[in-house]
Amino acid sequence: MKNKVDPNDLPLERNDVDNDRRNFLLLIPIAIFASVAGAVATAAFRFLRPISASQRQLKWIDAMPMAHVKGDKPLMCSIVTERTAGWATTLEEQQVFVLPSHQHQAFSSTCPHEGCNVMWREEKNDFFCPCHDSLFGLDGARMSGPAPRGLDPLPTREKDGMLQVQYQTFVNNIVERIPRA
Amino acid sequence: MNQRSQPYKSERWRRWLTERTRLVDIANSLFAPPTTGLSVWIRTTAGAVAILLVVQILTGTLLAFYYVPSAESAHTTVAYIEKALPAGSWIRALHHFGSQWLSLFLVLHLMQMFWRASYRQRPVAWMVTILLLALVLAGGVTGYSLPWDARAFFGTNVADGIASGLPLIGDNVHRWLVGGAEVSTATISRFFGIHVLVVPALVFLLIAARLFVFCEPASSVADGGRPAAVVWKRRQFARQSMTAGIVFLALALYAMRHHAPLGPAANDVTAGYLPRPGAQFLWLFQMLKYLPGPLASLVAAFVPGFIFLGLGLIPFFDARRMRRNGGVYPRRKLHVGLFALGFLLIAFMTTKAYLNDMRDPKVHAQLQQQAAEEEAFRAIPFEPLPPRISATSSGMSMPMNSGSMPNHMISADTPPEAFQKRCASCHGTRGQGVKPFPKLLGVSTKPRRTVGDIIGLLDDPKAFGLDPPMKSFATKLSDAEKRDIAEWLMLLKKP
Repeated sequence: MKNKVDPNDLPLERNDVDNDRRNFLLLIPIAIFASVAGAVATAAFRFLRPISASQRQLKWIDAMPMAHVKGDKPLMCSIVTERTAGWATTLEEQQVFVLPSHQHQAFSSTCPHEGCNVMWREEKNDFFCPCHDSLFGLDGARMSGPAPRGLDPLPTREKDGMLQVQYQTFVNNIVERIPRA
Repeated sequence: MNQRSQPYKSERWRRWLTERTRLVDIANSLFAPPTTGLSVWIRTTAGAVAILLVVQILTGTLLAFYYVPSAESAHTTVAYIEKALPAGSWIRALHHFGSQWLSLFLVLHLMQMFWRASYRQRPVAWMVTILLLALVLAGGVTGYSLPWDARAFFGTNVADGIASGLPLIGDNVHRWLVGGAEVSTATISRFFGIHVLVVPALVFLLIAARLFVFCEPASSVADGGRPAAVVWKRRQFARQSMTAGIVFLALALYAMRHHAPLGPAANDVTAGYLPRPGAQFLWLFQMLKYLPGPLASLVAAFVPGFIFLGLGLIPFFDARRMRRNGGVYPRRKLHVGLFALGFLLIAFMTTKAYLNDMRDPKVHAQLQQQAAEEEAFRAIPFEPLPPRISATSSGMSMPMNSGSMPNHMISADTPPEAFQKRCASCHGTRGQGVKPFPKLLGVSTKPRRTVGDIIGLLDDPKAFGLDPPMKSFATKLSDAEKRDIAEWLMLLKKP
């Protein structure tokens, strides 16, 4: 190869070894790298940060025909809720309890402790969480166990012969009822 | 040498590294012997290749956080990245154009290595570069399919068509590639696996082998670690970084200006769609135009294969000839000629592909329309995938002894199967009615239409005095099916 050179013939002064510490040649690429890498890192951070769902109106969801809402026992019904997260809207099945004897009051079946589904115990007349033994009264009030508050009430209304609920979830394991964004 | 007793900090680091690691050896093995003049800058294509590889791996990882490889989700998730996510369009453009730049710089890298005949001293580096180019092209082919727009769909079909046209093995290659008889959701999944797992794993293996297994003679052996040579290497490293930094910056700016293409979903494709491959494959695409069908597969598979094989074997041919000729390289001119010919062919075909598309008015108009459709699609705000039923808490649900509602889910949007089978032909799939038969929307508000009434009606329609009359379903539907239908009808609201 014609332009291969003997290292000893390189056009460098012996001094360059000592001067090398003061060699700023590397600073330019470092500056370019730092700026572009910084831009990419910022972009990556924004790209991965979850997009918070825009504030949207809660929907009224059909729970059951009014004709079924009777008796003094809580009624469990499955409702289908819509959730838009990321790139998809998904339907999710949720259970709510309706109390015909308490002006059709509805409760989310999600235990406010760690989020298991509570069950109605006919024989003891209470709501019981099978995960950590929280107990709630017929009106959803906390009776005992680790849950910090009673069952979460959901707004209901009557329309066209149907009982409708507005479903939402709340931050678990705190005394206040803060809706999850 | 009093200096030695008080080395600079960097000297101390170097000594520490030399004693405890092989890093200094490895770094030395990356440097070919020093040169001067223009060649020091031409050699910095290596830095560009390195930074582009890093960019591909980083941006690819980011995209994988959102991409879902299935026929129903792939396009939506890519549109989500492109339209909804902050910086998503930029990151995708970096990945898209980065892959083309990487192919380009690998070719440039090969060319400068060839020009310097560096494959003689460093055959491993030469062959690794060729394999790297092959892997990057494989990544390009598989990555092209992933967005699942028209461009991707047809690209996949063409790649599959070429593969299945191979003699003897064609059918097997086709089935293994697409994961079935046709290009389908299984194909995306396969291409995704190859694109994000197989290709990067092989790239990592290749680089690891280059760095840790096949260490080429360290340059420090040749230069004896003389201070002047050490300084040269340090400066060469600075030059490499300079080129890498400039290429990085240029790519970042280019990706801000230009979008990675994304058209409407593959199933919204209009007739007459003209697929075009990525820029790095245009030459192959153009060549296929001149070849009769059966030959095309052979050429498409073997021409690149022969090019890669021939390039990879150059060091061996050269070495043998050299030994026979007492240290002289007699075939250099032939090699240069072949290399130049190959390069000219690729450059010519690529140019011709562009020119053909520009000159043919029909093709030009169609391509323009496709570009316009892509722009129009880009302008539409992102639309999430429509809902599908996903069971979440159903596994946890406790059956109620006294509940009056069925425990399984019912919704107005999902009529029971029995309704679809028995009732939909007259009352419509969603109860909207098929003339002259009545619609069932809002039927629960009418008198004598409770769940019990409807079950009774299904058993004995005459008792309810229907007009036009309905036949009895007493024996055609089971009791559970009647209840399902009746309860579902309760949910239907008047439009």
